[in-house]
Amino acid sequence: MITFSDVSLIYPNSTRTVLENLTLTIEEGELVLVIGPTGSGKSSLLRLINGLVPHHTGGILAGDISVDGISTQLVKPGGLAHIIGIVGQNPIHGFVTDTVEEELAFGMETLNIAPEIMRKRVEEILDLLSLAPLRNRSLSTLSGGEQQRVAIGSALVMHPKVLVLDEPTSALDPIAAEEVLSILHRLVHDLGLTVVIAEHKLERVIQFADRIVHIDGLGNARVGTPAQIMSDSDIAPPIVHLARALGMKEIALSVRDMRRLSEDLRNAQYLPHAAEEFEIGNQIISCAKLTLNYGEKEVLRNINLAFHEGEVIAIMGRNGAGKSSLLKTIVGLNTAHSGKVQIREINPATLSGGARRQTIGFIPQEPSDLLYGQSVLMECQQGDRDNEIASGTTFALLSELVPGISPHTHPRDLSEGQRLALALSVVLSAQPEILILDEPTRGLDYQAKSHLIATLLRCARVFKRTVILATHDVELVAELASRVIFLADGDLVADGATIDVLLSSPAFAPQVAKIMSPQPWLTVKDVVSAMESR
Amino acid sequence: MTSLRHPLTWWIWSITLAIAVARANNPWLAAVIVGVAYLVVRTARDNAPWSRSFESAFKLGIFIVLVRTLFGVLIGTPIPGTIIVQLPVLPLPDWMAGIRVGGAITQERLFGTLHEGIIMASIVILFGAGASLTSPHRLLRVLPFAIYQFGLAITIATSLVPQFIASIARIREAQFLRGQKKSFKRTLIPLMEESLARSLDLAASMDSRGYGTHRIRSRYRAVTFDAIDLTITAFCLLAIISPYFSFAAVAAPLLFIGRKRIAAMA
Repeated sequence: MITFSDVSLIYPNSTRTVLENLTLTIEEGELVLVIGPTGSGKSSLLRLINGLVPHHTGGILAGDISVDGISTQLVKPGGLAHIIGIVGQNPIHGFVTDTVEEELAFGMETLNIAPEIMRKRVEEILDLLSLAPLRNRSLSTLSGGEQQRVAIGSALVMHPKVLVLDEPTSALDPIAAEEVLSILHRLVHDLGLTVVIAEHKLERVIQFADRIVHIDGLGNARVGTPAQIMSDSDIAPPIVHLARALGMKEIALSVRDMRRLSEDLRNAQYLPHAAEEFEIGNQIISCAKLTLNYGEKEVLRNINLAFHEGEVIAIMGRNGAGKSSLLKTIVGLNTAHSGKVQIREINPATLSGGARRQTIGFIPQEPSDLLYGQSVLMECQQGDRDNEIASGTTFALLSELVPGISPHTHPRDLSEGQRLALALSVVLSAQPEILILDEPTRGLDYQAKSHLIATLLRCARVFKRTVILATHDVELVAELASRVIFLADGDLVADGATIDVLLSSPAFAPQVAKIMSPQPWLTVKDVVSAMESR
Repeated sequence: MTSLRHPLTWWIWSITLAIAVARANNPWLAAVIVGVAYLVVRTARDNAPWSRSFESAFKLGIFIVLVRTLFGVLIGTPIPGTIIVQLPVLPLPDWMAGIRVGGAITQERLFGTLHEGIIMASIVILFGAGASLTSPHRLLRVLPFAIYQFGLAITIATSLVPQFIASIARIREAQFLRGQKKSFKRTLIPLMEESLARSLDLAASMDSRGYGTHRIRSRYRAVTFDAIDLTITAFCLLAIISPYFSFAAVAAPLLFIGRKRIAAMA
């Protein structure tokens, strides 16, 4: 269906080849997963398929790509619209119209498809993706998962032969992600659709993949079955790390297969799991009877919470459950409708300037919102000046977090992980007592994530800071958090030790816990230490 | 209730009203036309984010009147007449002869500038009325193929506006949380970067969905230019011929909307 013959790609003003002599054939009805570190060219590879690269972005392309027999060199992306549906990283950025129904029809209108056919196809898609209740809704009011489904729908409605998705689940909670992926799985099996996906969170997609393309960012690409690639890949989901840690010869990629292979392990007797001991300091934040309204809508209802020094707290819940609203209320951006938030007896809304920097460090969903300098060095110097610390301190902090960033790089040219590290070091240079992060792992690869985990753990354990993060990433929570708060539609539904909260909900359980249930292990490390202590 | 009239009708309507206001050059007439236009907008607009444009345009209009009056009264050549207040004249260098700042404020001068301000503001508000009634996106879809590049640019520009406002608020918040003072530059740089990235995304999305590849577009919800549209347009032409017919143009859509309302109630 898709053929890459001897494809090389290089962008102008860049010395690095994105792809070099890639030859690859994707058959009809295959689900192919593209993996690689951030900035390695996964998006470029996907956009090569319908010719957005190089028609839209520039760049020098050698070799030829053809889809269903049509070479992308000869037609523009629009000319392939009836064959390829493409869904970008941020679906809302690609929406052209105002409502769900209009958005679904947009592509068909441009291809001049008869109105009767359009109506029939729109109805089909609304049913297939369970979008019917949303048909007249304004696109801007949809939740992340709903937006993703509309974007997939508006690609599918053109009856494409190929569907290309760039990180379709990165912004979604585990349940919404599961919904989207199972729809894709069904389409591949029922309609023989060819699907190409790029994704960082392998634990979510790997069991659906027929083949994997692994690119390393230096121009090299490996193509193989998931089992082949996973046997030695550095990018691997927890299930593979578990198999490696247990020394298994065969690598299973689904929870079901892995449970079969590990039956003896699970059923053996173990000493009761001793929770990791660490000290919790004094109470630092208190929320009392917090209620928050946006207009008529109640987004938080009667929330009572207390946070302590040295705690790492993860706030979880579905898209739109009120996680970000709670964080914003704690930092003093939102004014509570009733009830109050206090940080060491101070109302956070009254903090500003230096006092704010030293009390709360906040990393927003888009870390680049914080950055305005023209180079990494300028950004770091601003941090030094703001906090009246020795010049070079912030940059030293950054080099510690992520070594090897050139001080003259523009923040925009950094990879997602590097940009987060820069924002983090600017914030940490003020030595805040509380560190708050909103969705920090969006778009981060495994390596950047483990860097982040190490940094945050050090903040909490060594410097006794309070770390609060809102996230969908259960694997991150399992590795990092000591306590989990679960919100549902503005209500606090669970608040407890990570292990208790995560194990009590199958949808929000990490992969290792699903495999090893009923043993109370969340991470590969837990399993290994239990094996050793036996 | 949605504005099921053809998007072009609404634009012809609001533009002719603006022409009428400019031609009649009568602030009282302008105020009445704006008032009736508000009634039409109130009844016929839908729930799109755009439908609030009228209110924004109205606020902008008031701002225009205030600024225009202030400058008109303080700066310019004196007009003789009834003096309201005598302000001191600001001494200016010789080479700026003919320009006077301060001095006597006469009733004639105040009314003159108010008059001009109201006419300017009304024109802006009437454009706001047009935008309230039809999403620019909807207008885009009835544009002919020949100006597709133009349509692409307009869609991107218009989808960026609400987005722009949201982004500014978000970036301001982030800067405030970093303990920074409000600064134009610190908001502008991240904003520009994000907007550029977003417009490229949108252009890529429209391109990959075949925008501009076919000469003819089909319509999912056909919006036809029917007899009512034609009647409203005819009334609008009358308003251009003589501004005092503009009430007819203003009232024409009300007539049809009103009839529908009554029919719906019965």
